[in-house]
Amino acid sequence: MNGARARSRGVIDTAPPASAEIPSSWERFERLYRSCRDDVYAYVATLLRDRAAAEDVTALAFERAYRRRWSFDRRRGEERAWLFGIARNAALDELRRRARHARLAVDPGDPEDAEPPADDGEVALRRTAVRAALGQLTGREREIVALKFHAGLSNAELARVLGVSESNAGTMLYRTMEKLRRACDVAG
Amino acid sequence: MSQAEALRAIDATLAGEAVDPRFAELAELALLLRDERPEPPPSLVALDARVARRFAGGPAAPPRRRRRAWLWAPASGLATALAVAVVIVLAGTSPQRPPLSPHAASSAAGAAAGAAPGAPTGAARRQPAPTRPALAAATAGRLAPHAAASVPAFAPAGTPGVAAVPQPAPSGRKIIQGAQLALTTAPARIDQVSQEVFDVAGRFGAVVLSSQVTQGGPGGYAQFQLSVPSSALGQAMGALSSLPYARVASRTDTTQDVSDPYQAAVRALNDARALRTSLLKQLAAATTTAQIDSLTARIHDAEASIASDEATLRRLQRQVDFSQVTVTVNAGTIVPVTPSSRGSGGFTLGRAAHDAGRVLTVAAGVALIGAAALVPVGLLAALVWWVAAAVRRRRREQALDLA
Repeated sequence: MNGARARSRGVIDTAPPASAEIPSSWERFERLYRSCRDDVYAYVATLLRDRAAAEDVTALAFERAYRRRWSFDRRRGEERAWLFGIARNAALDELRRRARHARLAVDPGDPEDAEPPADDGEVALRRTAVRAALGQLTGREREIVALKFHAGLSNAELARVLGVSESNAGTMLYRTMEKLRRACDVAG
Repeated sequence: MSQAEALRAIDATLAGEAVDPRFAELAELALLLRDERPEPPPSLVALDARVARRFAGGPAAPPRRRRRAWLWAPASGLATALAVAVVIVLAGTSPQRPPLSPHAASSAAGAAAGAAPGAPTGAARRQPAPTRPALAAATAGRLAPHAAASVPAFAPAGTPGVAAVPQPAPSGRKIIQGAQLALTTAPARIDQVSQEVFDVAGRFGAVVLSSQVTQGGPGGYAQFQLSVPSSALGQAMGALSSLPYARVASRTDTTQDVSDPYQAAVRALNDARALRTSLLKQLAAATTTAQIDSLTARIHDAEASIASDEATLRRLQRQVDFSQVTVTVNAGTIVPVTPSSRGSGGFTLGRAAHDAGRVLTVAAGVALIGAAALVPVGLLAALVWWVAAAVRRRRREQALDLA
């Protein structure tokens, strides 16, 4: 999980020099942005299955978070879960917009996804099976995978974003993994 | 493999920790899923610049869908209607109320509040108190004003314009004066204002010829027929126009010069007296029965004429000495005039503090009414907001199901 957070890289560091004082709201936001930008993008891209749209939605999510940064209440959860909640709403709004324009059925895929990794044959086979299994997931299941494995959220954060209890979130994750494993077994 | 163990194994795998061989397949799946993470494209760096500018001047966010104004239409309409209702309530009712309320009525005729020598009594007291339109007509006919001064409606009580009673110049002429005063007060203060009218009458030696006070129901009404010493008419009218909890709605002052009829009556009386004196002298010198009888009859006629002329003079003098004043009190919404505002209009700290207290009280009342009106509006708005949020959340979830 921490490793996933650490993968947010390539962000231009525009933050002012760190201060021993309590960080301002802007400093907190910028810190949140630097630690979550790639995770948010990965989550949105997995949910939308459209990298171009994912860029726009990621930017929109951060802009909304910046505009509403005063509404964050630490008693209701961590900033990371709060940010992913905003990103989720932005992504679902994009899905709704697509549905209205009857373009949802088009899943453009991504050339990078189809690019065969430089693995040995068995791993490549397993990776192909996993991709095929991912394609069989519903939107909700795919969202759980995105939040857990692509955004690196803990089960508690996942529950906060989805608006369910932590045990319920664990059950949903477990069932999704079981479904994926069965699909991989069938494919294998 | 329990669910809890599997979840712990997934977390351990993602954290780079070793897991039990029983979860090797699950760990491999977790790692493969993590490797499927979409990497951010280089173009996402543009977002860094926008963040650095704090989203100022950058590409605008996708235009927000226009809010559904119809969701707020019912609440807006209700709020507007309630605001209009509050304004109407605060503005009060029209001063043109029914003259008498059928709910409760108490009449007191001839309630003398003050004894004045020569004050009119008798028939005037026994007459039933007329209703307001009839009273106005009767008053107008009785006084037949040569000159009438009307005060603009709803002039504030106690103002110099109201207190200054137009008085005829003291030229020694015989002038009958009269006045009609219409007051407005709060419905709950009809009785109090009526008592104040009695008090003013007593203070200036006036006689309450008749009174009628009606309370109960949505409004109230009171009417007084006063006979006020003309020498105190100005002061009495000033006091009546400055009652603490009443406000002058209208006022009419009338005068009638009766100098000519009065002088004519005086001349007739003098002639009759002279005639009687002459007849008495002739009677003293009369020698025959016929002369005596004739003179005696003429003396009787002269004395009757004298009595008639004296009665006319007394009646005119009484009308000159006592002015007829009609006071009506109608229930209505007014800004009450506090007792401290009586008298001179000078500024004092106590009066200012009292006025400030009144202003705060009225403001608090208005705020309370506004809050009472806004509570249902707020509840409705909250309900609409909650429904809109629920609908939006449901549609988002539906979009996820369709994805």
